[in-house]
Amino acid sequence: MSLTQTGTVLAVDGLRKIYNEGTDQANLAIDDVSFHVDRGEFVCIVGPSGAGKTTLLRCISGLAQASAGSVMFEGRRLTSVPDELGLVFQDYSRSLYPWFTNAKNIALPLAARRVPKAERAARVDESLRSVGLAHVGKMYPWELSGGMQQRVAIARSLSYRPELLLMDEPFASVDAQTRFDLEDLILRVRRELGITVVLVTHDIDEAIYLSDRVVVLSKNPSVVKEIVPVELGNERSQVQTRSSEEFLALRNHLLSLVMPHEK
Amino acid sequence: MSRLTTSAVRVSRPSSAIRLKGIGRVLTPLWLPVLLLVAWWALSARSTSPFFPPLPDILVETWNQWVVFGAWTNAVSSVQNLLIGYVAGVLIGVIGGSLLWRLRLLRTATNPIIYFLYVLPAPALLPAMIAIFGIGDMRKIALIALGAIWPTLLNTLDGMRGIDAVKFDTARALRLGGWRRYFSLVLPGAAPQIAAGMRASLTVGIILVVVSEMVASNSGIGYFILQAQAEFAIKKMWTGILVLAILGTVLNYLFMFAERLVLRWYYRSRALHGA
Amino acid sequence: MSTRRGLWTAWVLPPLTVLIVLLFWEAVTRAGVVSPLQFPRMSDTLVALWHEFGSSRLWGAVGATLLGWAIGMAITVVLGVAVGTALAVNPFALRSAAPVIEIFKAIPAIAILPLVILVAGATLPMKVFLICFAAFWPFVIQVIYGVQSMDQVVLDTSRALGVRGIRRFLSVSIPSASPYLVTGMRIASAQALILAVVAEIVGGAEGIGRNILLAENSGTSAYPTMYAYILVAGLLGIVLTGAFFLMERRLMHWHESQRNIRASNRAVGA
Repeated sequence: MSLTQTGTVLAVDGLRKIYNEGTDQANLAIDDVSFHVDRGEFVCIVGPSGAGKTTLLRCISGLAQASAGSVMFEGRRLTSVPDELGLVFQDYSRSLYPWFTNAKNIALPLAARRVPKAERAARVDESLRSVGLAHVGKMYPWELSGGMQQRVAIARSLSYRPELLLMDEPFASVDAQTRFDLEDLILRVRRELGITVVLVTHDIDEAIYLSDRVVVLSKNPSVVKEIVPVELGNERSQVQTRSSEEFLALRNHLLSLVMPHEK
Repeated sequence: MSRLTTSAVRVSRPSSAIRLKGIGRVLTPLWLPVLLLVAWWALSARSTSPFFPPLPDILVETWNQWVVFGAWTNAVSSVQNLLIGYVAGVLIGVIGGSLLWRLRLLRTATNPIIYFLYVLPAPALLPAMIAIFGIGDMRKIALIALGAIWPTLLNTLDGMRGIDAVKFDTARALRLGGWRRYFSLVLPGAAPQIAAGMRASLTVGIILVVVSEMVASNSGIGYFILQAQAEFAIKKMWTGILVLAILGTVLNYLFMFAERLVLRWYYRSRALHGA
Repeated sequence: MSTRRGLWTAWVLPPLTVLIVLLFWEAVTRAGVVSPLQFPRMSDTLVALWHEFGSSRLWGAVGATLLGWAIGMAITVVLGVAVGTALAVNPFALRSAAPVIEIFKAIPAIAILPLVILVAGATLPMKVFLICFAAFWPFVIQVIYGVQSMDQVVLDTSRALGVRGIRRFLSVSIPSASPYLVTGMRIASAQALILAVVAEIVGGAEGIGRNILLAENSGTSAYPTMYAYILVAGLLGIVLTGAFFLMERRLMHWHESQRNIRASNRAVGA
């Protein structure tokens, strides 16, 4: 756990990503993206489809190398996946290892970080409890429903107490009802752990519901169209917040930014 | 407040296409083998052909030869050589396949050679093994090992290459180091395909142990069968065939049993979600 | 990875490695590290290979092996498709036959070789029978997988379009099941080649295997010839199995593991 300090956890400056650089199939996915994320913030990244949201996430997580520009994580230049980073992918069924139990999946990053065995078990229990799945440790991921598998994936990414949690369309592969449950879960987790979250989504309502700020990307080649602050307060509820006037105003504004025929 | 639940949802088994009740389920896989056995018994009982003695006689002779007269030492020799050669071949196959997966340059460079050795029919190497190792157990083991390497090696390589890229991204996200990644992701991920390769290696191994016992050898089931053929002791020869058939079947079932045990997670997850 | 380095790795490195291995072979045998009583020189082997290529012996042997392989494969494929299809469409028949297939598959064909030789002698029919006995079972299993894998939607569509009977079999069923069929044929082909060589080495039937054994029996001076024929066996394997591998790859390019392989190739450069 970090000391309670304010400060910039993630600083993206002039990020540029070209695929197949120097060949005929060169593809400028991201042109110029700059934004920063402060400690404890919840930032969502939205944009029209094909806007390179996933590419952006891969660059800021260290899974991919930027072609130009810089990514600073905790004040240090990011060259590979840092220790204090948590990642949750959209496709939980492909990300969780089916040959391990849920507990073993969650313990994996702890073992990699040489956490002693006794403490590992305690942390696994803690992580499972924090996502509301206290008793599924001994089961296998494929024995659970989609929403539960994603919770296990979230638990896995939280078990080693990262500074920053990156999520790539994490709730896109579950049904709507489960999606609401998971959204509230992540809000609660973030409040309890004081973690910083960056979440990529195509769902504008979800972005507004979850975040403190929304980064809007333009269509490919992407630049930051606008960064929209979301002042909906800390207590959010699916029914009330989503029907509030501020919510609807933000929704209109964001839709106009993201919709393809609106320039 | 959101509805967080702790109860697990078990995905139900898909109902099987054939609903057989109790007895039916047991009988269906049994009636045909039993029928064939009975047919063999009946048809051969009054047979006058020298090549197809009556089944009851064969069974009696099997007991005589293999238990009473001590021919079972041949079986021990065969199984021993097979196991040593097989284990050696499979180990080299998995390690070799892992190395080829890891070192892309090595893989591209040795591709034609490996491929050549894979498609080379292994029995063709027997005379060479005799030339190098002389007659004795070593040449049998060497031949078996040489034949068993390639199916396992290639399937190990293919299995590792076929692992979902998302799992590798996850490994990077979780900061899994080299060895941990190998034992936690690469090996289990490729395990189903490695098992398929090991099964093929077993088939090759069995062929090779018998071949090596039929050429310039003085022990083993293959030797026993050939010797009986040379003596024109047909019944004795049939006992050898029977023992070999049983051995082959037993080994295969043992393998399947072990595979189902080790790859429990794989078979159970497929049963729940389909292939 | 720049294209120039990619070209070099793909096209120059493999043949170069083969060359290095051959030279290594020559060096090791020349230096006497391996006894000439066990291992001939690479140069001598290649000379013997050239010699055999010129004589009728090699082509006769290859022809004999190929003939057995071809006839055996033909019978296996026809019987396999017929039996496999019949079993796959009838669940009861399939469940009844499955244990029998598994048992016969586990019996090493070589076990009955001495018996078949007694009955048929060291002849082509003996070889063909052995090949069929070995190759049929794995092939029929693949045919069954192939028929089972056919998408029900495709079948329903064809019925709705009025395509039935033989035409449906040829234009819908066979293409749908073709990846499995080709895999099955590749497996059967490998088994067939192995059994052909076994029939020749152990049974004395005419073919490459017999020539290998004859050379070994002729003593050390004939070892180069022996290895030459081993190389020929390998080359034959490349031609036969390689053809099926190519067909398989073309047909299976949509299969997930192939997609993952292509993705992993790309990911290395990411």
